[in-house]
Amino acid sequence: MSDEDFPCPRWKRLLLNQFVLVPAVLILITIGWNLWIVTHDHGIVAGRVLDAAGAPVEGAEVKLWVFNFTTFVVKASTVTRPDGSFEFANNPSHNIQVSADKPGMGRSARVPIRLYFASQDFVLTDPLRLTGGT
Amino acid sequence: MKKYPRWPVHLALLATSFVMLVPFYWVLKTSVSGENIFSYPPNIIPRDPNPFYYVDVWYAIPFARFFLNSVVVSVMTIAANVVLNAMAGYSLTQSFRGKGIVLMLLLSCMMIPFQTTIIPAYLITGKLGLLDSYLGLALPMFSTIICIFVFKASFDAVPRSLIDAAKIDGLSEWKIIWKVMMPLAKSAMATNVILSFIWSWNNFMWPLIATRSADMQTLPLGLARFMSYQEDSTGALYAFCIMVLAPGILLFLLAQKEFVQGLTSGATKG
Amino acid sequence: MVMAVSETAMRRPHFMVRKSTRRAVLIWSFLAPSLLVFFLYRILPLGWNVLLSFQAWSPMKPAVFIGLDNYQEVLFDDEVFWQALWNTLGIIGSAPIGIAIALGLALLVNSDIRGRDIYRTLIFLSYPLMTVAVAIIWRWMFDERVGLINYVARMLDIVDKPIPFLNSFTWALPSVIAANIWQMLGFYMIIVLTGLQNIPGNLYEAAAIDGANAFRRFLRITLPLLRPSIFLCFVIGMLNSVTSFDLVYVMTAGGPGRATEILVTYIYRLAFTQTRFDYAAAVTVIFFLLLLAVTWTVNRLSGGNAGAVELDG
Repeated sequence: MSDEDFPCPRWKRLLLNQFVLVPAVLILITIGWNLWIVTHDHGIVAGRVLDAAGAPVEGAEVKLWVFNFTTFVVKASTVTRPDGSFEFANNPSHNIQVSADKPGMGRSARVPIRLYFASQDFVLTDPLRLTGGT
Repeated sequence: MKKYPRWPVHLALLATSFVMLVPFYWVLKTSVSGENIFSYPPNIIPRDPNPFYYVDVWYAIPFARFFLNSVVVSVMTIAANVVLNAMAGYSLTQSFRGKGIVLMLLLSCMMIPFQTTIIPAYLITGKLGLLDSYLGLALPMFSTIICIFVFKASFDAVPRSLIDAAKIDGLSEWKIIWKVMMPLAKSAMATNVILSFIWSWNNFMWPLIATRSADMQTLPLGLARFMSYQEDSTGALYAFCIMVLAPGILLFLLAQKEFVQGLTSGATKG
Repeated sequence: MVMAVSETAMRRPHFMVRKSTRRAVLIWSFLAPSLLVFFLYRILPLGWNVLLSFQAWSPMKPAVFIGLDNYQEVLFDDEVFWQALWNTLGIIGSAPIGIAIALGLALLVNSDIRGRDIYRTLIFLSYPLMTVAVAIIWRWMFDERVGLINYVARMLDIVDKPIPFLNSFTWALPSVIAANIWQMLGFYMIIVLTGLQNIPGNLYEAAAIDGANAFRRFLRITLPLLRPSIFLCFVIGMLNSVTSFDLVYVMTAGGPGRATEILVTYIYRLAFTQTRFDYAAAVTVIFFLLLLAVTWTVNRLSGGNAGAVELDG
């Protein structure tokens, strides 16, 4: 098969051989993926908290829950800034939830976040909404 | 030959292919959507597909470690297999005193299935101090009789004239093997690589017996353990199945011809 | 004349004698590693098993020769052994089903249709898979609540209530057998296909000219000439299925009760869970003799000589 003499240089034939091409592609994908992980795994989880009317909430307590074998356990908590945003720094896991609450303004649902790899940097697209306040 | 309608043949074959493929599709679907674990009636198209079960599997068990173990053992097995089987196959093409006895010995060894040797194999490996080590895991599979005969058939097919010409040119035995016979035995080598990889990658019973510590386990063991300690209420178990099946399927699709050729030629040796 | 021969023999140059022994050394050294592996892991274990079966041995104490006591216990006092033996024979007896289906498939694939290579690949795809994964997949497909088999059966109104396949004494072993056939079907088909392709076409033409219809051609030409392939399928299939430890261990672990316990899983349980190496060795020896007996029987039934046929003319 590869010993016919058609005008194709040997290195090219070697490269296009399926047994070389497929592993090479797989290795390249693996290396690329690992590079992506290394540059994006600071464990940052960021988002915003809004109240039922849509206004940013300052001083709401945001909790980070981490999956631990069978249930979720609170791992860290932080407080929102004046513009309603919050940020966690060292999320260790790939399966987390965040929830927010502020006494008097209600609480938000626990939002599950699934990451592609542990400590992936993640920014919530939908803000946490507080409902049920008095 | 009378022509007969083709469509019943296609129908039967399509039905069979469907039956053969449905388990794959079903597992793939569940690994992506996590349904059909508890829901009834099941859906054909997955609702809400997500790849996060694969992530779960990666972190729930030391998948990378198991993968590495499997790879190391397989590579060792393949390397040893190619070298030992080629050597044995070559020596069987020469005539020497005692060849008949050796052939009979090899054929009768084929009749001893691995499962009848597990107890002494475990004891021997223990005595050699190789339990729970890569070498101990790979050693029983270092040479297989089917592959020896594949090499033998391939070497037998080298035309006598080539060998004689090489002898006349003054090449030593070693050089003849290396320069003349091995290049012509490429397909036998490919067959051997693929068969020994599949057998070693899929091997479950021997690693089950020969490993003691959890971090020397190979992928099949990891899969069986995962099944028992993780209740299968998520798609994670099936994601693990897919991750484990993928290399085998990929290799098979790449190397079908060698695979089939090896099985049939080695099995239906003359 | 004789003098001349012996003179040349005496005058044979020294280096030629060394060359032939050097060559013998080379050949034996090539064979040695493989032979060592087979000796260590096939022949020695066989002998050691036989030896162990006649002893009472626990790993910390020295071995004691006890004659046939182990065998006596196996054959007369051990219900589990007989159940396992029965199950193993059941698996052996079900091999022809798989081979018959594979024969049909091979005939279909061998006919002149487009895409036969694709069909062949699709059907053979199940063989190179990891048996543990196959066992998990089929375990789930046979599940009582969420399994596909039950769903299809209920959808087609074959049954009213779901059948607990892997938990019932009657259905457990057939389920394991079905999973095994699914995995081996492609393999049998490939072997039979190779056998089919080796049948010379002119035989069919000659028979057609002589007025034989398709069925007679099949019966009189195809089947007899396929004997070696079918014999091979049977032997390999039998060896594979009675040694299918992975499938039984993962699918049912021998359960329910002992309904799917086969000799291999029983040996494993005895040796590595109960640490009764000597007793397990006795069961192993009996198992090996069973395999030999079945192979020999099949060989006789297919006409001796591994089913080979001689084509004349």
